[in-house]
Amino acid sequence: MSAALAVAAIAVAGCGDDDEDTESAKKVEPGAAEQAKGNVNWCIGKDTTGTFSKAVKEFSSQGQVKANLIELPAAADEQRTQLVQRLQAKSSECDVLGMDVIWTAEFAAQSWLQDVSDIVAERKDVWIPSTLETAKYEDKYWALPYNTNAGFVYYRTDQVQEPPDNWQAVYSEAAKGDGIVYQGARYEGLTVNFLELLYSAGGKVLSDDGKTVEIDSPEAVEVLKFMADGIEQGAAPKAVTTYMEEESRRAFESGGATFMRNWPYAYSLGKDSKIAEDFDITTFPKFGEGEGAGVLGGYDVAISAYSKNPDGAAAFAEFLTSPDWQKTIMTEASLPSTLTKTYDDPAVQKAFPFAVKLRTAVEQAQPRPVTPVYPQVSEAIFKNVHLALQGKMAPDEAIKTMKGDIDKALQTF
Amino acid sequence: MEAATVARPRRRGSGLSERRLAAAMVSPSMIVITLVAAYPIGYAIWLSLHEYSVRVPGLSRWSGLKNYDTALSSSEFWEALRNTFLFTGISVTIELVLGIAFALAMHQAFKGRAVLRATVLVPWAVLTFGSGLLWRSIFEPDLGFANSMLSALGLPGGDILWLGQEGYAMAVMICADIWKTAPFMALLLLAGLQVIPDDVYDAAKVDGASAWQRFLRITLPLLKPAILVALLFRTLDALRVFDLPFALTGGANGTNTLSLYAYQELTANRLVGLGSALSVLTFLIVMIVSFMYIRFVGGNIRGLADER
Repeated sequence: MSAALAVAAIAVAGCGDDDEDTESAKKVEPGAAEQAKGNVNWCIGKDTTGTFSKAVKEFSSQGQVKANLIELPAAADEQRTQLVQRLQAKSSECDVLGMDVIWTAEFAAQSWLQDVSDIVAERKDVWIPSTLETAKYEDKYWALPYNTNAGFVYYRTDQVQEPPDNWQAVYSEAAKGDGIVYQGARYEGLTVNFLELLYSAGGKVLSDDGKTVEIDSPEAVEVLKFMADGIEQGAAPKAVTTYMEEESRRAFESGGATFMRNWPYAYSLGKDSKIAEDFDITTFPKFGEGEGAGVLGGYDVAISAYSKNPDGAAAFAEFLTSPDWQKTIMTEASLPSTLTKTYDDPAVQKAFPFAVKLRTAVEQAQPRPVTPVYPQVSEAIFKNVHLALQGKMAPDEAIKTMKGDIDKALQTF
Repeated sequence: MEAATVARPRRRGSGLSERRLAAAMVSPSMIVITLVAAYPIGYAIWLSLHEYSVRVPGLSRWSGLKNYDTALSSSEFWEALRNTFLFTGISVTIELVLGIAFALAMHQAFKGRAVLRATVLVPWAVLTFGSGLLWRSIFEPDLGFANSMLSALGLPGGDILWLGQEGYAMAVMICADIWKTAPFMALLLLAGLQVIPDDVYDAAKVDGASAWQRFLRITLPLLKPAILVALLFRTLDALRVFDLPFALTGGANGTNTLSLYAYQELTANRLVGLGSALSVLTFLIVMIVSFMYIRFVGGNIRGLADER
């Protein structure tokens, strides 16, 4: 009986609908938002900082549209599951969707989002250009960038005089000191860590149109060999193959590492730890001859294709990405803004002493591969990279397998 | 049943209507079972025979047994199957031995027995995912409790990457499961112990049987029905293990299980057809194992019910 229930739960979780309407995407026109009325619901992850509920309150008090917050679970995977279930059922419950930047292609391909290209076009210059790339699929914009994120190299100022300007030097200094820690467990974070090096080396995963695999490059093999050798030769501890963000942070804060790759959140936490005075951060160095590059994180806000109040939703999405509100999320919730100007604000620079570095990190970062089958592509990357890091597979063989897996993913029906 | 047959000659007309009444009274629960169990299983099988597009909204096509072919020809499926059975075999065996020991201890009359019975169930009450996270932090490299303790005591193993190496990761997963469910096993077996009458033991003592002989000749045979029920429960649960590998390793390092694999394909990769095929295969495996148990020990389970 309980086995049957488990199958039942899985079946329900996976239920899609069978009818085949392929209507062209709905489009929101700018300007319509000004006359908007009624209610809109904002579905986004758990409101851990209190700014989501503050946003709906403040927006509702300003105009004629009333916004409500619908909180989804804290973990991104769970949020995605919840949104997918609602969208598959064509539910109009969520008008504005809080979306992890890696979902854009998938959701847009399913016609779950409204085309917001015209809204973006009106004020395209205000956003940091790289953040808009996360909202783009097949030359149209499907969301407005809400908050962004990019990683840093953290280093111990008492062990490193000048932060190295290339990864090779980072690793060789790490080998002499206490090593480098990063996110090497078998999960999405490892895909990000690998791509940061790959992008810095000038490598790519997919072609620009997203149709062909370009991972089988000498750069990819070189980067993977570099990472595997790093572990083999002791620049990184073997334990990084089990590390996620928090494990890396704890290892670094306990004084167990000279370098760490991590997101900006570790900065303020580190300033409360025992190494508070002994570390600083720098944007990603280049790999060999290329230019330093990162990988973008963060959330975009999109308008659901099933929204009954798209104009109200557009008004709310515009509010969320307005300069005033972007300043609020940065100073009150430590969420990095997607607007270029926010980082020049004195109040923001006070809350983020590294604001200018952060903007540079975001500017030099690139989105993860834009494809509706991103989850499978990412799995192909982190699975094979993990095997290579553990020494179970040679780097060139791992890249070859990765290519095969991604090829298969792209052919998914 | 016999009573009904005897009664028939006297009240010939009412026999059928009594049966009808019975059918009518059972039907609501039959309908509920159909809705809750049979319909979703049927739906999962239906889904597993189709492919659902991840790029074109709402597009699906009949694919026959292709999803099953994909599943059965992937090395990941066989690896997950091997891991699942390895996990089930070892964890359930150890839980059984520990469960019997705990049950015997709890069965003794002593002061504070009620308190012990309650406390022993605490691990069972902890959410599996929560206890998984707890075990992950214990076996975290460098800063984890296990490695620091082993190093502090000068024992070997302080530098083992518990969750990062094949074999060790499975060992941690088995430990976490034993910690959590051995008490549950003990409680089921304790119920079995309590129905064994004391006079059997008294008679054996009079005949001069040693404690070991009493355990081997009286306790074990009379406990057999309870053991088999407990084994059935635990085996079926263990075959579907999901939360532990999910929390401990995310399925890395030889800990991917059937349920976790099905979840990955279904939820993360949104391959509804393949994911459903994997769930159906898991379901079939669980069914076969439970049929084997029930065929093999069915009489004993009924025997236990009669004794109560």
